[in-house]
Amino acid sequence: MHDAKTLKPSDLGRQEEQLIVVDNLMPLLPPYDQPGMERPFGEVKGAWREKYCTSLDGFVGIDTLQRPKTKEEEKEFVQKFLNGLEKILSDANNGMLQPLLLSLEYCAKCNTCSEACHVFQASGGNELYRPIFRSEALRKMIKKYFTPSGRLLGRFVGADIEVNWESIARLGELAYRCNLCRRCAQTCPLGLDNSIFAKEIRKIFSQELGIAPSPLHAKGSMIQLKTGSSTGITKPAFLDMLEFMEEDIEEKTGKKIKFPLDKEGADILLIHNAGEFMAWPENPAAFAILFEEAGLNWTLSTELMGYDSVNYGIWYDDTQAKKIALQQFQTAKHLGVRRIVIGECGHAHKAAAVTADRMAVGEDKIPVESFLPLLWDLVRTGRLKFDPQKNNFPVTLHDPCNVVRQMGIVQPQRHILKQICPQFREMTPHGVDNYCCGGGSGFAIMNSLNFGQFRDKVSGRMKFNQILGAFQDTIEDPSIPKYVCAPCSNCKGTIRELLEFYHTTEKFNVHYGGLVELMVNALPDLEKPYLEFLQA
Amino acid sequence: MLWIFYGSALLFLVLSGYKAYVFTKMPLHGRMELYPVPKEKGKSEYGGSYFEEVEWWHKPRELSGFSELKDMLKEMLFIKKLFQNQRSLWWVSYALHLGIYLLAAWTALLIVGAISGLAGMPISASGRLLPGAWPAFLYYLTALCGNLGFACATFGAAALLWRRAFDPVLRKYTTPQEYFNLLLLLAALVSGLIVWFPDLFYQEARTVMADFLSLTPPQATGTLTLHVILVGFMFIYIPLSKMSHYVGKYFTFHKVLWENDPNLPGSEIEKKVQAALGYKPGHTWSAPHVQTVRPQNQDR
Repeated sequence: MHDAKTLKPSDLGRQEEQLIVVDNLMPLLPPYDQPGMERPFGEVKGAWREKYCTSLDGFVGIDTLQRPKTKEEEKEFVQKFLNGLEKILSDANNGMLQPLLLSLEYCAKCNTCSEACHVFQASGGNELYRPIFRSEALRKMIKKYFTPSGRLLGRFVGADIEVNWESIARLGELAYRCNLCRRCAQTCPLGLDNSIFAKEIRKIFSQELGIAPSPLHAKGSMIQLKTGSSTGITKPAFLDMLEFMEEDIEEKTGKKIKFPLDKEGADILLIHNAGEFMAWPENPAAFAILFEEAGLNWTLSTELMGYDSVNYGIWYDDTQAKKIALQQFQTAKHLGVRRIVIGECGHAHKAAAVTADRMAVGEDKIPVESFLPLLWDLVRTGRLKFDPQKNNFPVTLHDPCNVVRQMGIVQPQRHILKQICPQFREMTPHGVDNYCCGGGSGFAIMNSLNFGQFRDKVSGRMKFNQILGAFQDTIEDPSIPKYVCAPCSNCKGTIRELLEFYHTTEKFNVHYGGLVELMVNALPDLEKPYLEFLQA
Repeated sequence: MLWIFYGSALLFLVLSGYKAYVFTKMPLHGRMELYPVPKEKGKSEYGGSYFEEVEWWHKPRELSGFSELKDMLKEMLFIKKLFQNQRSLWWVSYALHLGIYLLAAWTALLIVGAISGLAGMPISASGRLLPGAWPAFLYYLTALCGNLGFACATFGAAALLWRRAFDPVLRKYTTPQEYFNLLLLLAALVSGLIVWFPDLFYQEARTVMADFLSLTPPQATGTLTLHVILVGFMFIYIPLSKMSHYVGKYFTFHKVLWENDPNLPGSEIEKKVQAALGYKPGHTWSAPHVQTVRPQNQDR
């Protein structure tokens, strides 16, 4: 094992069983500062070491990256990677060429980004997770093979890294130790972006080598392109779910609501992360209640690609992202709706409104907006009325990176919460300076092998501390319910895992959910609370 | 010596300009804004954007060029992000950059002073009221910029070099070339100090500048020759190295992080997107799922 203090990017190719061990995590706030409040990491199984790349830090993020069985396989892997490396610098990568080349060329290695990175900070400053460690390793490989200065001057210009199966595989794993939250880029004095390197490495692995974590690819975007949803929900199953949800809404609220389906010419096509229908049906149900209450002209789609807003491609594969985004536009176009409104899913916001913004023109492109300004408009104009006393318990807000830092939607959610939650309090820091939940860029759904431990104990650690910090005044009083409002499906999934891992709901009565559930809970005409934890 | 003076200045401009041209001609990239974006009028203070508006595509974009200029100047003149996020490094980095700005001003003042001298109005401390105040003003201002500039830049370059060499983290990430970059700056500055230091009011420097401007080879000592060669090499080398971030920084902020240009019907950006969508790349990706048949309009 290498001492993390002396580890440097050129060590990535060293023949060691495991480069570093994560053993000096950032302390947690009370009451989690006491011994025994946190489970230790599990052992890395011998069989995993033989089959996967555990030689980075012991965690396996890419479950489809398996050790070669022959020298030929190893050689082919290295060559394909180098081919991919060349392609990210070519016109195959036009959509990212300028930002990539700027970040490749100009990093002054001032190390300002390290302070901003929640993974680096949470790991206790482990060298492996320093944002420039990954960037510099990739930069060295590019210099070594694809720059005249690297070929001529080698070590003098930093082209001093071994490129072999081990170093490439470790680099691939290392690309999945960054949440792509881009907080580091906010602090860079030169405006450079380390997340670009993580994403580009992921792209080479997927688009050239055909290797990507199965929750994102084989069980994610590939299933979505086949069935319409990454959850695998088919149209009949989807219709069954909606019917069940209609009955549930009536039972819970007394309101008879029929989901509008495939309504041609509707004003709004609302697209949810389909994971909501399976894991948190109360969320799309709450949307339906609010939209009907406000009398909006809206619809859901039951067509392929029309009922799931997710687009995992934006995390690892541009070609998958484009296929999905364009098909979602097509569905909206066929329905003849005026606009697409994205529900509580952060990455779907970015995928449809920002990434896909330059994937189509003219009639093929339907305007996309977030649910947040729409809901605030309904509140602001009095089309929805609330009794805030129904939400009279401590509430804090998590800012999804994709919605806030990457789209600039900061105030509408705060305006709403201030109107409906008398005990609303901010996390520190918040808004565009927020920390990622730790589940960004796919980590929320990557549970293969031991990767969940990395998320729960390392990448999600800063957010867990922020939650504890926001509730310090009441955290140790389990009689007071506390609510983390996370208006994003992936963030919500991560926070669910964090609260389960640390037994925070069970011990300290901390709950999580979306924004619309809180809004419905505060509707004056509801006899029973909408939020389940208030029903007891 | 004349060749070095004019040749290096010209190459600095041409190479820097070419670098900017290359970045300007790069293909349209995907959107990568990061908030706060200063030109978002009324919203940039908290990091908001037009996406906070209902049906934003029907609303007029409210942009503030002044706000963007203000933020840009804060970044250019004061290196605001480093000041906010890594104060200890800012002191030394800012010393170097402030020193460079002052030395640029000093050079401009030397040129003005030399032209003034050639025009029969020599620069000296003896100016009284107008028009005599002009030579005195130039005389003292040149001295102020030169002395402060040399002091700040030399301290900054030396301190950065020291920090890179002895900070355990920075040392790991610093390549020999990056030490060379700082050493080159330091060598050019120290040689300047050796050449000009005895004369804190830079009369000799003004004379050399006047020689250059009148295409007369200056009376060259060994140290002056070495200084001109080092500065000349530095000027040619900077645009070829990462020290040309004065070019890159414009693109990273204005064309990437602060671009914020939605693809609206009839807009300029729509035309660029249309053109980019029609482009057939020479290189293509090889993974099997990329190679499968895609619906129309999916290849850029």
